[in-house]
Amino acid sequence: MSNSKLYKGSLTTIILKLLNEHDKMYGYEITQKVKELTKGELKITEGALYPALHKLEAEGLLDVEVAKVDNRLRKYYKLTETGTKETVNKLEELADYIKTMQALVNPKLA
Amino acid sequence: MKLTESQIQELYAFTRQHFVEHYDLQTELVDHLANDIETQWQKESKVSFEDAKNRAFKKFGIFGFMDAIEQKGKAMNKRYRGYLWTELKKWFEMPQIIATIALFLMFYVAFSTVYTAALALVFYVLISGWCIYKSIQLNKQFRQRKEVSNKKWMLEEMIFKQAGSTMFVFMSQLFNVYQIPERFGENASFLVLFSLAFTALTLVNYISLEVIPSKAEKLLNEAYPEFSL
Repeated sequence: MSNSKLYKGSLTTIILKLLNEHDKMYGYEITQKVKELTKGELKITEGALYPALHKLEAEGLLDVEVAKVDNRLRKYYKLTETGTKETVNKLEELADYIKTMQALVNPKLA
Repeated sequence: MKLTESQIQELYAFTRQHFVEHYDLQTELVDHLANDIETQWQKESKVSFEDAKNRAFKKFGIFGFMDAIEQKGKAMNKRYRGYLWTELKKWFEMPQIIATIALFLMFYVAFSTVYTAALALVFYVLISGWCIYKSIQLNKQFRQRKEVSNKKWMLEEMIFKQAGSTMFVFMSQLFNVYQIPERFGENASFLVLFSLAFTALTLVNYISLEVIPSKAEKLLNEAYPEFSL
């Protein structure tokens, strides 16, 4: 997915969080947004993004919408109600993880 | 600079060359490649379409579109199983449950006789004969649909072509059906299990080969907002 394996487990959380902040997004937009927010530090590869999006869609966390943009069709993803709830859980999980890691690697700050 | 219509069509052909058979996934990948190419042109306007396309494709990694194809297949299978399950549950609610119980009782009574093996074979032949007939019919329908639209949708293929897969599991059991000893009809728990198995197979085959295909348009429109575009 990215320049570091450590980010790998957080891909779904990143996608959910982004969709939580934006009403709807398409695949390419997600990769660009992550690049922009992390100033190029994290690059979601296309080979990992679409499998993750399709998995989340199958799990009922995402819904799709299609619109004609320029001369092609664009598929937008947005959170379902379950997806919104799951985002909260995933973010809590991630925060706990960061806290635990902080306690391990830098006990003074924890 | 924006991509032209013919370049979009070239991208569709490119995804097909890279084993993306279904229009739903092709469309998503075409838009992605197109966005990437247009972004490249904003930075370097002299890059050729071919070069920009290859650069965009490289970003998918050494497996290209394979991961996306695989995951999409899994996701669609999950969706299809969901439909199957929803329909199956209905047969355990009023009023369909009456038909389910009647079906079970019919198998139970038939298998309780001394002709368990012979009747099992008759039912087996009847059910699989119907399944083969329906599968051929659905396959034909699928080909006609494809000819009209010139597009192949993953879920459509599952509904019309993979529907018979439960039948093949069923058919592969012919040997076992043939091997049933006559006295098995006296074993009550065997009878219940055997009748349940036949009831379940009849229902699953009926749902996958009749009920779901009859709802194809509705399900496809639900899964693909672009289906009717």
